[in-house]
Amino acid sequence: MIVYGFLNSVILALMALGFSITFGISRVANFAHGGFYILGGILTWFFLMKVGLPYPIAAFLAVIIVGIIGGLMFRVVLIRLRGLELSEVIATFAVGIVILELLRSMGFMGYEYRLPVFIDGSVDIFGTYVGLQRLIIVGVGFILLVAMHLFVHHTKTGRAFRGVAQEDRTALTVGINPDKISLLSLFAGSAICSLSAIVILPLGTISIDDGYDVLIKSLAVCIIGGLESSVGVIVAAFVIGYAEVFTAMYISSSLTMVVTLATMLIILLVKPSGLFGKSKEIEERV
Amino acid sequence: MGKHSSLVLACIISVLFLTFSVPFAGAQTKGDPIVIGVPSSLKLLESAEAHRAIILAAEEINAKGGVKVGNVQRPLKVEAIETRDGEPGVPMADAMLAIEKLFLEKKPHAVVLGPFRSEVLLAAMDLYAQYKMPSINVAMTPKFVEKYSQNPEKYKYCFRMMDAKYVVGYLTKVMEKLNKDFGFTKVYIVVQDVLWSTAIGNGMQGWFQKNQWDVKGYDKYPTGASDFSSTLIKAKQAGAQVILPIFDMSTSGILVQQWKDMKVPALMAGFISPLMGSKAWSTFGDKIEGVINVVFQAGNIPLKNYAPSTKFYEAYTKRWGEMQSGHMPSENYDSVYALVAAIERAGSLDPDKLVKEIEKTDMAGSVGRIKFQDHQFIFGEDPKTSAIAVVYQWKKDGKRVPVYPDSIAEGKIEKPSWMK
Repeated sequence: MIVYGFLNSVILALMALGFSITFGISRVANFAHGGFYILGGILTWFFLMKVGLPYPIAAFLAVIIVGIIGGLMFRVVLIRLRGLELSEVIATFAVGIVILELLRSMGFMGYEYRLPVFIDGSVDIFGTYVGLQRLIIVGVGFILLVAMHLFVHHTKTGRAFRGVAQEDRTALTVGINPDKISLLSLFAGSAICSLSAIVILPLGTISIDDGYDVLIKSLAVCIIGGLESSVGVIVAAFVIGYAEVFTAMYISSSLTMVVTLATMLIILLVKPSGLFGKSKEIEERV
Repeated sequence: MGKHSSLVLACIISVLFLTFSVPFAGAQTKGDPIVIGVPSSLKLLESAEAHRAIILAAEEINAKGGVKVGNVQRPLKVEAIETRDGEPGVPMADAMLAIEKLFLEKKPHAVVLGPFRSEVLLAAMDLYAQYKMPSINVAMTPKFVEKYSQNPEKYKYCFRMMDAKYVVGYLTKVMEKLNKDFGFTKVYIVVQDVLWSTAIGNGMQGWFQKNQWDVKGYDKYPTGASDFSSTLIKAKQAGAQVILPIFDMSTSGILVQQWKDMKVPALMAGFISPLMGSKAWSTFGDKIEGVINVVFQAGNIPLKNYAPSTKFYEAYTKRWGEMQSGHMPSENYDSVYALVAAIERAGSLDPDKLVKEIEKTDMAGSVGRIKFQDHQFIFGEDPKTSAIAVVYQWKKDGKRVPVYPDSIAEGKIEKPSWMK
């Protein structure tokens, strides 16, 4: 339970990271997240299986393309809706649905749409066999977190990200263009979403419906952790990850989603901004 | 008008006459099309492939001149509508509206395939009764027969192909074989948390308990679940020798991958949709070696010992490419033929006359011999006398080897190499 709880938690964190980064910087709740996730998987599959590109190149192209689509979504749609939070949610949700349903109508249904595992096999960890692909997911998650930390603390663009995340109007006064940074955040969040799909989807097959589940799970993780907090996302992923495995192990596997959403409700009742979020507290103080 | 102009005018009139008169003459010979309605969740693989099988049957019948109704040969026309009832979160009312829309706009003479989910079929039975719509459906809940039996006069328009109880019957026979051949008596049940699969799971649990098997656990997973490690850990710790899965969701392929990765020393024997078709081996590789799966109807897998199943399978793959699903295409293909035979016997499209003739169906189909009892296909063990399901095992080099019923078996159940 400890081993699989950990693995499950890392998968959840990776799934939600792109959503959290985008919201943390640009305050855009990207409800197209599930659509981007599946699109990343399908693009990789297409480049790999149909075009015949090597896996790393297929994955790289999928990450870049989904990132560009995320950036374009901001440039074409969201920039006109800045400040209208509900409209932003509806617009991104619509983009996500369009992507998913377009893919479905293009015939991407069936069980042959599957990304191969990077390395086949399993290893024994504390008496429990674990597939190597799950360990790769943990590795990618760890590398991504370290890379993100280095990027936002040690690069000029990264510091601009933090500046806009803290207060976009103040950032503007020191020469940072919040719209440009928001566009980049949409690019980065969407690209990370695509990357997470590429490492997670080899565990199963690519199913369009999973896009909706990924969105719900990512939302749950981000809301519990605090929408704008990357640390919160990781902690929340572990709370939910272990709650799910514990529920499946000792209560009932059919209640895993119920437990996730109930956990979200309880935490929101106690801390309305989530475990590490500050927005509600600041609002109340003002 | 000169002589030359008159000739040209005469030619034009002749051409126009010939152009327009030929189709009308054909229409008189052919009659109006007989419309087969297909309201189902068509974006799901099984329904999509079943829809293709229905089109294939209609094309074959039309190529042979259509359906003889009285003295008129009439073509078949397939009209489908997307109900989305198999997709998560779609309200049942939306599916019902789609079915009614099909009835009102396309005015089908009969329905084949029908809703994907059992819950929607049970609700649609009242709609079929209201519109006097003969229908041959697929959704598998045992409650269909229960509801039909409560009011046979009202629900006489509803027929159904597969019942979950038959799947239980086939799986119990497989378990008997596993017990006899390997001495297995400990089982772990894991199912998708939807009506049809829990019905099979519950049925199997009852059978195991009556037959001195030790049920080590029974887990239900919501549609879309993607981690089955807790079940596999519990099964391994409890010493289960057989894991019985019942799933039709795409993520259930993960269960088998985890089973192999975690080296759970139990035979996987049940129903997992993603492992069903011939392409599953290229998708999952040798991770699925040893898995025992139930194809709910012959024809969805070719059988050396029953030619009509192979004939359908080859016709389908020639027309549409590889088949991936393990239930629905062959039975729906046969249903079109059963419906057409009933129409020709009745000599009419009157729903009441048609229903009486469908009840009398007795024909060889790709699924086996087709007969109805309580408006339900009868399943048995010999395709010459009844419809059959096929239990097969994935063996080395990606071969699907039928292992039950004995009448069509092409090999014996073996433990996968890594379990020996």
